[in-house]
Amino acid sequence: MSEILEKFQLAIIQGDGDKSVDMAEAIIAEGKATPDEIFDFLAEAMEVVGSRYETGEYFIPEMLRSAEAVEKAMGILEPYMFERRHDQTGIIVMGTVKGDIHNIGKNIIVSALRASGYEVHDLGVNISTDKFVNKVREVNADMLMLSAFTTSTKSALIDIIKSLEREGMRDRIKVISGGASHSEEFAREVGVDGFAKDVKSTLAVCRRLMSEKRA
Amino acid sequence: MNSRERVLAVLAGETPDTVPIVPVVDGYYAPKVIGRANDECFLDGACMAQALLAARNKYDYDGVLAEMGLGSPPNVLGCPVEIEGNDVPLVVDTVIGGREDLERLQVPDPWADDKMEPVKQLVAAAGGDHFVLGSVRSPFEYAATVRGLIDFMTDFYRDPELVKDLVAACVPVTYAVGKALVEAGVDAIVMKDSFASSSMISPEHYEQFAWHAEAEAIAGFKGLAPVVLHVCRNSMPILTRMAETGADVLEIDSPVDLAAARDALGDKVVLKGNIDAVTVIEKGSVADVEQAVRLAMAAARPGGRFILSTGDSIPVSAPEENVAALVEFGRKYGRY
Repeated sequence: MSEILEKFQLAIIQGDGDKSVDMAEAIIAEGKATPDEIFDFLAEAMEVVGSRYETGEYFIPEMLRSAEAVEKAMGILEPYMFERRHDQTGIIVMGTVKGDIHNIGKNIIVSALRASGYEVHDLGVNISTDKFVNKVREVNADMLMLSAFTTSTKSALIDIIKSLEREGMRDRIKVISGGASHSEEFAREVGVDGFAKDVKSTLAVCRRLMSEKRA
Repeated sequence: MNSRERVLAVLAGETPDTVPIVPVVDGYYAPKVIGRANDECFLDGACMAQALLAARNKYDYDGVLAEMGLGSPPNVLGCPVEIEGNDVPLVVDTVIGGREDLERLQVPDPWADDKMEPVKQLVAAAGGDHFVLGSVRSPFEYAATVRGLIDFMTDFYRDPELVKDLVAACVPVTYAVGKALVEAGVDAIVMKDSFASSSMISPEHYEQFAWHAEAEAIAGFKGLAPVVLHVCRNSMPILTRMAETGADVLEIDSPVDLAAARDALGDKVVLKGNIDAVTVIEKGSVADVEQAVRLAMAAARPGGRFILSTGDSIPVSAPEENVAALVEFGRKYGRY
Protein backbone atom coordinates (compact mmCIF):
# COMPACT_ATOMS: atom_id res chain seq x y z
CA MET A 1 0.00 0.00 0.00
CA SER A 2 2.75 2.44 0.86
CA GLU A 3 3.97 2.18 -2.73
CA ILE A 4 0.67 3.56 -4.01
CA LEU A 5 0.77 6.31 -1.40
CA GLU A 6 4.32 7.14 -2.39
CA LYS A 7 3.29 7.37 -6.05
CA PHE A 8 0.35 9.53 -4.96
CA GLN A 9 2.77 11.77 -3.12
CA LEU A 10 5.13 12.02 -6.08
CA ALA A 11 2.25 12.89 -8.43
CA ILE A 12 1.35 15.82 -6.17
CA ILE A 13 4.94 17.03 -5.83
CA GLN A 14 5.37 16.89 -9.60
CA GLY A 15 1.97 18.46 -10.14
CA ASP A 16 0.69 15.59 -12.28
CA GLY A 17 -3.10 15.86 -11.94
CA ASP A 18 -3.93 12.81 -14.05
CA LYS A 19 -1.60 10.60 -12.06
CA SER A 20 -2.82 11.96 -8.70
CA VAL A 21 -6.39 10.97 -9.72
CA ASP A 22 -5.22 7.52 -10.82
CA MET A 23 -3.43 7.01 -7.53
CA ALA A 24 -6.41 8.29 -5.52
CA GLU A 25 -8.59 5.72 -7.28
CA ALA A 26 -6.00 3.03 -6.59
CA ILE A 27 -5.96 3.96 -2.90
CA ILE A 28 -9.74 3.55 -2.68
CA ALA A 29 -9.70 0.32 -4.72
CA GLU A 30 -7.20 -1.21 -2.35
CA GLY A 31 -9.04 0.17 0.67
CA LYS A 32 -6.22 -0.32 3.15
CA ALA A 33 -5.02 3.21 3.91
CA THR A 34 -6.63 4.99 6.81
CA PRO A 35 -7.67 8.63 6.44
CA ASP A 36 -4.83 9.56 8.79
CA GLU A 37 -2.28 7.82 6.57
CA ILE A 38 -3.64 9.51 3.47
CA PHE A 39 -3.52 12.87 5.21
CA ASP A 40 0.02 12.33 6.38
CA PHE A 41 1.21 11.53 2.85
CA LEU A 42 -0.76 14.45 1.43
CA ALA A 43 0.60 16.86 4.03
CA GLU A 44 4.15 15.63 3.46
CA ALA A 45 3.78 16.14 -0.29
CA MET A 46 2.54 19.69 0.21
CA GLU A 47 5.39 20.35 2.61
CA VAL A 48 7.88 19.29 -0.05
CA VAL A 49 6.17 21.61 -2.53
CA GLY A 50 6.27 24.43 0.03
CA SER A 51 9.92 23.93 0.83
CA ARG A 52 10.81 23.84 -2.87
CA TYR A 53 9.03 27.20 -3.19
CA GLU A 54 10.96 28.59 -0.24
CA THR A 55 14.30 27.47 -1.68
CA GLY A 56 13.53 28.94 -5.09
CA GLU A 57 13.22 25.61 -6.89
CA TYR A 58 9.49 26.09 -7.36
CA PHE A 59 7.57 29.28 -8.17
CA ILE A 60 3.87 30.09 -8.06
CA PRO A 61 2.95 28.18 -11.27
CA GLU A 62 4.58 25.03 -9.86
CA MET A 63 2.69 25.50 -6.56
CA LEU A 64 -0.54 25.92 -8.51
CA ARG A 65 0.19 22.80 -10.56
CA SER A 66 0.56 20.79 -7.36
CA ALA A 67 -2.49 22.44 -5.80
CA GLU A 68 -4.53 21.45 -8.83
CA ALA A 69 -3.29 17.86 -8.50
CA VAL A 70 -4.40 17.85 -4.86
CA GLU A 71 -7.78 19.34 -5.71
CA LYS A 72 -8.41 16.70 -8.38
CA ALA A 73 -7.37 13.89 -6.06
CA MET A 74 -9.50 15.20 -3.22
CA GLY A 75 -12.53 15.10 -5.50
CA ILE A 76 -12.04 11.30 -5.49
CA LEU A 77 -10.87 10.88 -1.89
CA GLU A 78 -13.18 13.25 -0.02
CA PRO A 79 -16.28 11.02 0.20
CA TYR A 80 -14.14 7.98 1.06
CA MET A 81 -12.32 9.81 3.82
CA PHE A 82 -15.45 11.48 5.17
CA GLU A 83 -17.16 8.10 5.59
CA ARG A 84 -14.30 6.89 7.73
CA ARG A 85 -13.74 9.91 9.88
CA HIS A 86 -16.36 11.46 12.13
CA ASP A 87 -14.37 12.23 15.21
CA GLN A 88 -13.50 15.86 14.64
CA THR A 89 -16.77 17.43 13.75
CA GLY A 90 -17.35 21.11 14.07
CA ILE A 91 -19.05 23.77 12.02
CA ILE A 92 -16.81 26.05 10.01
CA VAL A 93 -17.61 29.12 7.94
CA MET A 94 -14.91 29.86 5.41
CA GLY A 95 -14.18 32.32 2.64
CA THR A 96 -11.60 34.58 1.06
CA VAL A 97 -11.79 38.06 2.53
CA LYS A 98 -12.85 41.24 0.77
CA GLY A 99 -10.10 42.45 -1.49
CA ASP A 100 -8.94 38.99 -2.48
CA ILE A 101 -10.21 36.69 -5.19
CA HIS A 102 -7.77 33.81 -4.88
CA ASN A 103 -9.50 30.52 -4.34
CA ILE A 104 -7.20 27.57 -5.02
CA GLY A 105 -5.64 27.48 -1.55
CA LYS A 106 -9.03 27.92 0.05
CA ASN A 107 -10.56 25.14 -2.05
CA ILE A 108 -7.86 22.70 -1.01
CA ILE A 109 -8.40 23.51 2.65
CA VAL A 110 -12.18 23.17 2.27
CA SER A 111 -11.71 19.71 0.75
CA ALA A 112 -9.30 18.66 3.49
CA LEU A 113 -11.60 19.89 6.24
CA ARG A 114 -14.66 18.20 4.79
CA ALA A 115 -12.69 15.01 4.39
CA SER A 116 -11.80 15.32 8.07
CA GLY A 117 -15.44 15.43 9.04
CA TYR A 118 -16.04 19.13 9.51
CA GLU A 119 -19.21 20.77 8.25
CA VAL A 120 -17.82 23.54 6.05
CA HIS A 121 -19.85 26.45 4.69
CA ASP A 122 -17.74 27.86 1.86
CA LEU A 123 -18.85 31.40 1.05
CA GLY A 124 -16.44 31.87 -1.89
CA VAL A 125 -14.12 34.79 -2.62
CA ASN A 126 -14.11 38.58 -2.01
CA ILE A 127 -16.55 38.18 0.88
CA SER A 128 -17.71 41.21 2.87
CA THR A 129 -17.54 41.43 6.64
CA ASP A 130 -21.34 41.40 6.91
CA LYS A 131 -21.62 38.17 4.91
CA PHE A 132 -19.11 36.42 7.16
CA VAL A 133 -20.78 37.63 10.35
CA ASN A 134 -24.29 36.80 9.15
CA LYS A 135 -23.31 33.28 8.11
CA VAL A 136 -21.54 32.62 11.41
CA ARG A 137 -24.73 33.63 13.20
CA GLU A 138 -27.02 31.67 10.85
CA VAL A 139 -25.21 28.32 11.18
CA ASN A 140 -23.94 28.89 14.75
CA ALA A 141 -20.40 28.19 13.59
CA ASP A 142 -17.62 26.97 15.87
CA MET A 143 -14.87 28.41 13.71
CA LEU A 144 -14.46 31.11 11.12
CA MET A 145 -11.64 30.60 8.63
CA LEU A 146 -10.50 33.63 6.71
CA SER A 147 -8.40 33.03 3.67
CA ALA A 148 -6.18 35.82 2.38
CA PHE A 149 -3.53 35.29 -0.31
CA THR A 150 -1.68 38.52 0.44
CA THR A 151 -1.08 40.56 3.57
CA SER A 152 -2.59 43.62 1.84
CA THR A 153 -5.95 42.32 3.03
CA LYS A 154 -5.00 42.92 6.66
CA SER A 155 -7.58 45.69 7.12
CA ALA A 156 -10.35 43.35 5.96
CA LEU A 157 -9.32 40.77 8.58
CA ILE A 158 -9.23 43.38 11.34
CA ASP A 159 -12.63 44.67 10.27
CA ILE A 160 -14.15 41.18 10.62
CA ILE A 161 -12.70 40.71 14.10
CA LYS A 162 -14.02 44.10 15.20
CA SER A 163 -17.43 43.34 13.76
CA LEU A 164 -17.62 40.03 15.67
CA GLU A 165 -16.72 41.93 18.83
CA ARG A 166 -19.38 44.59 18.18
CA GLU A 167 -22.00 41.89 17.66
CA GLY A 168 -21.03 40.17 20.91
CA MET A 169 -20.03 37.00 19.03
CA ARG A 170 -16.26 37.04 19.44
CA ASP A 171 -16.16 34.87 22.59
CA ARG A 172 -18.22 32.13 20.96
CA ILE A 173 -16.18 31.66 17.84
CA LYS A 174 -12.59 30.70 17.06
CA VAL A 175 -11.12 32.66 14.18
CA ILE A 176 -8.32 31.36 11.99
CA SER A 177 -6.57 33.24 9.23
CA GLY A 178 -4.79 31.39 6.48
CA GLY A 179 -2.66 32.01 3.43
CA ALA A 180 0.83 31.53 2.12
CA SER A 181 1.96 34.95 3.32
CA HIS A 182 0.69 34.56 6.89
CA SER A 183 2.89 34.46 9.97
CA GLU A 184 2.44 34.32 13.70
CA GLU A 185 3.23 38.04 13.91
CA PHE A 186 0.60 38.83 11.28
CA ALA A 187 -2.00 36.73 13.12
CA ARG A 188 -1.22 38.48 16.40
CA GLU A 189 -1.51 41.92 14.80
CA VAL A 190 -4.84 41.03 13.25
CA GLY A 191 -6.19 39.43 16.44
CA VAL A 192 -7.14 35.94 15.27
CA ASP A 193 -6.94 32.81 17.44
CA GLY A 194 -4.73 30.88 15.08
CA PHE A 195 -3.17 30.92 11.66
CA ALA A 196 -2.33 28.28 9.10
CA LYS A 197 -0.10 28.21 6.06
CA ASP A 198 -0.98 24.82 4.62
CA VAL A 199 -3.14 21.70 4.94
CA LYS A 200 -1.20 20.18 7.80
CA SER A 201 -1.12 23.29 9.96
CA THR A 202 -4.78 24.00 9.23
CA LEU A 203 -5.88 20.59 10.50
CA ALA A 204 -3.63 20.91 13.53
CA VAL A 205 -4.91 24.34 14.48
CA CYS A 206 -8.52 23.25 13.97
CA ARG A 207 -8.04 20.27 16.29
CA ARG A 208 -6.42 22.50 18.92
CA LEU A 209 -9.07 25.20 18.78
CA MET A 210 -11.97 22.73 18.81
CA SER A 211 -10.46 21.09 21.91
CA GLU A 212 -10.15 24.50 23.58
CA LYS A 213 -13.72 25.33 22.64
CA ARG A 214 -15.07 22.09 24.07
CA ALA A 215 -12.98 22.32 27.24
CA MET B 1 18.79 72.58 -13.24
CA ASN B 2 15.08 71.97 -12.58
CA SER B 3 13.53 68.60 -11.74
CA ARG B 4 12.68 67.68 -15.32
CA GLU B 5 16.13 68.64 -16.61
CA ARG B 6 17.66 66.57 -13.82
CA VAL B 7 15.85 63.39 -14.93
CA LEU B 8 16.43 64.11 -18.62
CA ALA B 9 20.16 64.49 -17.95
CA VAL B 10 20.32 61.06 -16.37
CA LEU B 11 18.42 59.55 -19.30
CA ALA B 12 20.85 61.22 -21.72
CA GLY B 13 23.83 59.69 -19.94
CA GLU B 14 24.91 63.02 -18.44
CA THR B 15 25.71 63.68 -14.81
CA PRO B 16 23.05 65.88 -13.18
CA ASP B 17 23.59 68.27 -10.26
CA THR B 18 22.13 65.71 -7.89
CA VAL B 19 20.51 62.28 -8.11
CA PRO B 20 16.88 62.76 -9.19
CA ILE B 21 14.25 61.53 -6.76
CA VAL B 22 11.09 59.98 -8.21
CA PRO B 23 9.41 57.76 -5.60
CA VAL B 24 6.47 55.56 -6.57
CA VAL B 25 3.75 57.82 -5.22
CA ASP B 26 0.60 56.70 -6.96
CA GLY B 27 -3.08 56.24 -6.27
CA TYR B 28 -2.40 54.24 -3.10
CA TYR B 29 -0.79 57.17 -1.29
CA ALA B 30 -1.46 60.46 -3.10
CA PRO B 31 -5.22 60.83 -2.37
CA LYS B 32 -4.63 61.20 1.34
CA VAL B 33 -2.42 64.23 0.67
CA ILE B 34 -5.57 66.10 -0.41
CA GLY B 35 -7.74 64.48 2.24
CA ARG B 36 -9.55 62.15 -0.15
CA ALA B 37 -10.04 58.38 -0.03
CA ASN B 38 -8.43 56.21 -2.71
CA ASP B 39 -11.76 55.13 -4.18
CA GLU B 40 -12.81 58.74 -4.81
CA CYS B 41 -9.69 59.44 -6.86
CA PHE B 42 -9.62 56.09 -8.67
CA LEU B 43 -13.06 56.87 -10.00
CA ASP B 44 -12.38 60.53 -10.70
CA GLY B 45 -9.40 61.36 -12.88
CA ALA B 46 -9.36 65.04 -11.96
CA CYS B 47 -9.20 64.11 -8.29
CA MET B 48 -6.29 61.73 -8.94
CA ALA B 49 -4.39 64.29 -11.00
CA GLN B 50 -4.89 66.85 -8.24
CA ALA B 51 -3.71 64.36 -5.60
CA LEU B 52 -0.60 63.31 -7.52
CA LEU B 53 0.39 66.93 -8.11
CA ALA B 54 -0.31 67.90 -4.51
CA ALA B 55 1.91 65.05 -3.29
CA ARG B 56 4.72 66.15 -5.58
CA ASN B 57 4.39 69.77 -4.48
CA LYS B 58 4.26 68.82 -0.83
CA TYR B 59 7.38 66.63 -0.83
CA ASP B 60 9.20 68.32 -3.73
CA TYR B 61 10.52 65.25 -5.52
CA ASP B 62 11.44 65.41 -9.20
CA GLY B 63 8.82 63.46 -11.10
CA VAL B 64 5.12 62.67 -10.95
CA LEU B 65 3.43 59.47 -12.04
CA ALA B 66 0.35 59.78 -14.24
CA GLU B 67 -1.60 56.63 -13.58
CA MET B 68 -3.73 55.00 -16.23
CA GLY B 69 -6.47 54.80 -13.61
CA LEU B 70 -6.93 58.51 -14.16
CA GLY B 71 -10.50 59.08 -15.19
CA SER B 72 -11.05 55.52 -16.39
CA PRO B 73 -14.32 53.78 -15.79
CA PRO B 74 -13.86 51.11 -13.15
CA ASN B 75 -12.75 48.29 -15.41
CA VAL B 76 -9.62 46.92 -17.07
CA LEU B 77 -10.26 45.74 -20.65
CA GLY B 78 -13.82 44.87 -19.69
CA CYS B 79 -12.97 43.27 -16.35
CA PRO B 80 -14.93 45.00 -13.57
CA VAL B 81 -12.86 46.59 -10.82
CA GLU B 82 -14.08 47.26 -7.31
CA ILE B 83 -12.53 49.67 -4.86
CA GLU B 84 -13.78 50.74 -1.48
CA GLY B 85 -12.26 53.37 0.77
CA ASN B 86 -8.49 53.07 0.86
CA ASP B 87 -8.44 49.42 -0.26
CA VAL B 88 -6.36 48.33 -3.20
CA PRO B 89 -8.50 48.20 -6.39
CA LEU B 90 -9.56 44.65 -7.11
CA VAL B 91 -10.36 43.12 -10.48
CA VAL B 92 -13.35 41.00 -9.49
CA ASP B 93 -14.11 39.21 -12.73
CA THR B 94 -12.28 38.17 -15.86
CA VAL B 95 -13.18 38.18 -19.53
CA ILE B 96 -10.96 35.37 -20.84
CA GLY B 97 -12.33 32.00 -19.73
CA GLY B 98 -10.34 30.11 -22.37
CA ARG B 99 -9.08 30.19 -25.93
CA GLU B 100 -12.61 30.69 -27.26
CA ASP B 101 -12.70 34.12 -25.62
CA LEU B 102 -9.50 35.47 -27.19
CA GLU B 103 -11.45 37.30 -29.88
CA ARG B 104 -13.33 39.20 -27.16
CA LEU B 105 -10.13 41.01 -26.33
CA GLN B 106 -10.38 44.43 -27.95
CA VAL B 107 -7.72 47.11 -28.11
CA PRO B 108 -9.33 49.97 -26.18
CA ASP B 109 -9.49 53.55 -27.35
CA PRO B 110 -7.45 55.26 -24.61
CA TRP B 111 -9.00 58.61 -25.52
CA ALA B 112 -12.60 57.42 -25.07
CA ASP B 113 -14.66 59.08 -22.34
CA ASP B 114 -12.03 61.83 -21.99
CA LYS B 115 -9.77 59.40 -20.13
CA MET B 116 -6.62 61.21 -21.19
CA GLU B 117 -7.83 64.63 -20.07
CA PRO B 118 -6.49 64.26 -16.50
CA VAL B 119 -3.12 63.21 -17.92
CA LYS B 120 -3.06 66.34 -20.05
CA GLN B 121 -4.00 68.41 -16.99
CA LEU B 122 -1.20 66.80 -15.03
CA VAL B 123 1.34 67.50 -17.79
CA ALA B 124 0.16 71.10 -18.10
CA ALA B 125 0.39 71.64 -14.35
CA ALA B 126 3.89 70.15 -14.28
CA GLY B 127 4.66 72.95 -16.70
CA GLY B 128 7.98 71.62 -17.90
CA ASP B 129 9.43 71.90 -14.40
CA HIS B 130 8.76 68.35 -13.34
CA PHE B 131 9.21 65.05 -15.13
CA VAL B 132 5.93 63.24 -15.85
CA LEU B 133 5.77 59.47 -16.20
CA GLY B 134 2.75 57.68 -17.65
CA SER B 135 1.93 54.26 -16.31
CA VAL B 136 0.88 51.30 -18.47
CA ARG B 137 0.65 47.56 -17.83
CA SER B 138 2.87 45.21 -19.78
CA PRO B 139 1.26 42.70 -22.17
CA PHE B 140 2.02 39.92 -19.67
CA GLU B 141 0.31 41.84 -16.85
CA TYR B 142 -2.73 42.68 -18.99
CA ALA B 143 -2.95 39.00 -19.94
CA ALA B 144 -2.81 37.90 -16.30
CA THR B 145 -5.49 40.45 -15.43
CA VAL B 146 -8.00 39.47 -18.10
CA ARG B 147 -7.48 35.74 -17.52
CA GLY B 148 -7.22 35.95 -13.72
CA LEU B 149 -3.83 35.50 -12.10
CA ILE B 150 -4.43 31.98 -10.77
CA ASP B 151 -5.85 30.59 -14.02
CA PHE B 152 -3.18 32.43 -15.99
CA MET B 153 -0.35 30.86 -14.03
CA THR B 154 -2.03 27.47 -13.95
CA ASP B 155 -2.10 27.68 -17.75
CA PHE B 156 1.71 27.77 -17.83
CA TYR B 157 1.60 23.98 -17.61
CA ARG B 158 -2.02 23.30 -18.58
CA ASP B 159 -2.09 25.30 -21.81
CA PRO B 160 1.15 27.19 -22.53
CA GLU B 161 0.06 28.03 -26.07
CA LEU B 162 -2.93 29.92 -24.68
CA VAL B 163 -0.59 31.93 -22.45
CA LYS B 164 1.61 32.83 -25.42
CA ASP B 165 -1.35 33.76 -27.63
CA LEU B 166 -3.01 35.81 -24.89
CA VAL B 167 0.16 37.73 -24.07
CA ALA B 168 0.76 38.37 -27.78
CA ALA B 169 -2.81 39.64 -28.12
CA CYS B 170 -2.13 42.14 -25.33
CA VAL B 171 0.91 43.74 -27.00
CA PRO B 172 -1.28 46.12 -29.07
CA VAL B 173 -3.16 47.06 -25.88
CA THR B 174 0.03 48.10 -24.09
CA TYR B 175 1.18 49.93 -27.19
CA ALA B 176 -2.11 51.83 -27.67
CA VAL B 177 -2.22 52.99 -24.05
CA GLY B 178 1.46 53.95 -23.96
CA LYS B 179 1.22 55.85 -27.24
CA ALA B 180 -1.81 57.77 -25.98
CA LEU B 181 0.06 58.71 -22.82
CA VAL B 182 2.90 60.11 -24.92
CA GLU B 183 0.42 62.01 -27.07
CA ALA B 184 -1.04 63.42 -23.86
CA GLY B 185 2.41 64.78 -23.09
CA VAL B 186 4.15 62.46 -20.62
CA ASP B 187 7.95 62.45 -20.69
CA ALA B 188 8.37 58.70 -20.22
CA ILE B 189 6.37 55.49 -20.00
CA VAL B 190 6.51 53.21 -16.98
CA MET B 191 5.65 49.70 -18.14
CA LYS B 192 4.66 47.66 -15.13
CA ASP B 193 5.30 43.94 -15.31
CA SER B 194 4.64 43.05 -11.69
CA PHE B 195 3.84 39.37 -12.24
CA ALA B 196 7.02 38.70 -14.25
CA SER B 197 8.92 38.87 -10.97
CA SER B 198 11.30 36.07 -10.03
CA SER B 199 9.43 36.08 -6.73
CA MET B 200 6.47 34.69 -8.68
CA ILE B 201 7.65 32.90 -11.82
CA SER B 202 10.86 31.19 -12.84
CA PRO B 203 13.38 32.94 -15.09
CA GLU B 204 12.59 30.24 -17.69
CA HIS B 205 8.90 31.17 -17.66
CA TYR B 206 9.83 34.85 -17.82
CA GLU B 207 11.79 34.05 -20.96
CA GLN B 208 9.05 31.85 -22.38
CA PHE B 209 6.04 34.05 -21.75
CA ALA B 210 6.94 37.63 -20.77
CA TRP B 211 10.24 38.76 -22.28
CA HIS B 212 9.36 38.83 -25.98
CA ALA B 213 6.20 40.83 -25.38
CA GLU B 214 8.11 43.30 -23.21
CA ALA B 215 10.74 43.71 -25.93
CA GLU B 216 8.12 44.08 -28.66
CA ALA B 217 6.18 46.74 -26.76
CA ILE B 218 9.36 48.65 -25.91
CA ALA B 219 10.50 48.50 -29.54
CA GLY B 220 7.16 50.08 -30.44
CA PHE B 221 7.80 52.94 -28.03
CA LYS B 222 11.27 53.67 -29.42
CA GLY B 223 11.33 57.18 -30.75
CA LEU B 224 8.20 58.09 -28.82
CA ALA B 225 9.46 58.19 -25.21
CA PRO B 226 11.93 56.52 -22.89
CA VAL B 227 10.62 53.42 -21.15
CA VAL B 228 10.96 52.51 -17.48
CA LEU B 229 10.45 48.77 -16.99
CA HIS B 230 9.11 47.91 -13.53
CA VAL B 231 9.21 44.40 -12.08
CA CYS B 232 8.13 43.85 -8.47
CA ARG B 233 10.12 42.11 -5.74
CA ASN B 234 13.10 40.01 -6.82
CA SER B 235 14.22 40.62 -10.40
CA MET B 236 17.91 39.84 -9.95
CA PRO B 237 17.84 36.54 -11.92
CA ILE B 238 16.28 38.27 -14.94
CA LEU B 239 17.94 41.67 -14.70
CA THR B 240 20.25 41.22 -17.67
CA ARG B 241 17.38 40.08 -19.86
CA MET B 242 15.25 42.99 -18.66
CA ALA B 243 18.00 45.33 -19.85
CA GLU B 244 18.06 43.51 -23.19
CA THR B 245 14.41 44.45 -23.82
CA GLY B 246 15.71 47.89 -24.77
CA ALA B 247 14.24 49.60 -21.70
CA ASP B 248 15.97 52.86 -20.82
CA VAL B 249 15.41 52.50 -17.08
CA LEU B 250 14.93 49.44 -14.88
CA GLU B 251 12.79 50.15 -11.83
CA ILE B 252 13.93 47.57 -9.31
CA ASP B 253 12.39 46.62 -6.00
CA SER B 254 13.98 46.30 -2.59
CA PRO B 255 14.92 42.56 -2.67
CA VAL B 256 17.48 43.34 -5.39
CA ASP B 257 20.97 44.25 -4.22
CA LEU B 258 21.54 47.59 -5.90
CA ALA B 259 25.33 47.26 -6.03
CA ALA B 260 25.05 43.76 -7.54
CA ALA B 261 22.57 45.09 -10.09
CA ARG B 262 24.95 47.88 -11.06
CA ASP B 263 27.80 45.37 -11.33
CA ALA B 264 25.71 43.09 -13.53
CA LEU B 265 24.51 45.84 -15.84
CA GLY B 266 27.34 48.35 -15.90
CA ASP B 267 26.12 51.71 -17.18
CA LYS B 268 23.99 50.24 -19.97
CA VAL B 269 20.72 51.29 -18.34
CA VAL B 270 19.56 53.71 -15.69
CA LEU B 271 18.59 52.08 -12.42
CA LYS B 272 15.61 53.41 -10.48
CA GLY B 273 15.06 52.17 -6.99
CA ASN B 274 14.95 50.63 -4.57
CA ILE B 275 14.08 51.79 -1.05
CA ASP B 276 11.73 49.30 0.61
CA ALA B 277 8.30 50.95 0.50
CA VAL B 278 6.93 48.82 3.35
CA THR B 279 9.77 47.94 5.75
CA VAL B 280 11.50 51.32 5.49
CA ILE B 281 8.95 53.92 4.37
CA GLU B 282 5.76 52.52 5.92
CA LYS B 283 7.10 50.82 9.04
CA GLY B 284 10.59 52.24 9.56
CA SER B 285 11.82 55.35 11.36
CA VAL B 286 13.33 58.49 9.87
CA ALA B 287 16.73 57.07 10.85
CA ASP B 288 15.90 53.90 8.88
CA VAL B 289 15.05 56.01 5.85
CA GLU B 290 18.34 57.89 6.14
CA GLN B 291 20.32 54.67 6.40
CA ALA B 292 18.53 53.10 3.41
CA VAL B 293 19.02 56.21 1.26
CA ARG B 294 22.70 56.47 2.23
CA LEU B 295 23.31 52.83 1.27
CA ALA B 296 21.40 53.16 -2.01
CA MET B 297 23.40 56.23 -2.96
CA ALA B 298 26.67 54.52 -2.12
CA ALA B 299 25.72 51.59 -4.33
CA ALA B 300 24.31 53.35 -7.37
CA ARG B 301 25.05 57.10 -7.40
CA PRO B 302 28.60 56.89 -8.83
CA GLY B 303 28.51 57.19 -12.59
CA GLY B 304 25.29 59.13 -12.70
CA ARG B 305 22.86 56.58 -14.09
CA PHE B 306 20.63 56.44 -11.05
CA ILE B 307 17.21 57.72 -9.97
CA LEU B 308 16.39 57.36 -6.29
CA SER B 309 12.98 55.81 -5.77
CA THR B 310 11.02 53.42 -3.67
CA GLY B 311 11.01 49.88 -5.03
CA ASP B 312 7.24 49.89 -5.29
CA SER B 313 4.15 51.92 -4.38
CA ILE B 314 4.26 53.78 -1.07
CA PRO B 315 1.39 52.44 1.06
CA VAL B 316 -1.37 54.73 2.28
CA SER B 317 -0.35 54.31 5.92
CA ALA B 318 3.26 55.47 5.38
CA PRO B 319 4.03 58.34 7.78
CA GLU B 320 4.50 61.77 6.23
CA GLU B 321 7.85 62.27 7.93
CA ASN B 322 9.28 59.18 6.23
CA VAL B 323 8.21 60.32 2.77
CA ALA B 324 9.69 63.74 3.53
CA ALA B 325 12.87 62.07 4.84
CA LEU B 326 13.28 60.13 1.59
CA VAL B 327 13.53 63.44 -0.29
CA GLU B 328 15.54 65.22 2.41
CA PHE B 329 18.22 62.54 2.60
CA GLY B 330 18.05 61.94 -1.14
CA ARG B 331 19.14 65.54 -1.61
CA LYS B 332 21.71 65.31 1.18
CA TYR B 333 23.47 62.21 -0.14
CA GLY B 334 22.70 62.60 -3.84
CA ARG B 335 24.76 65.63 -4.77
CA TYR B 336 27.43 65.17 -7.46
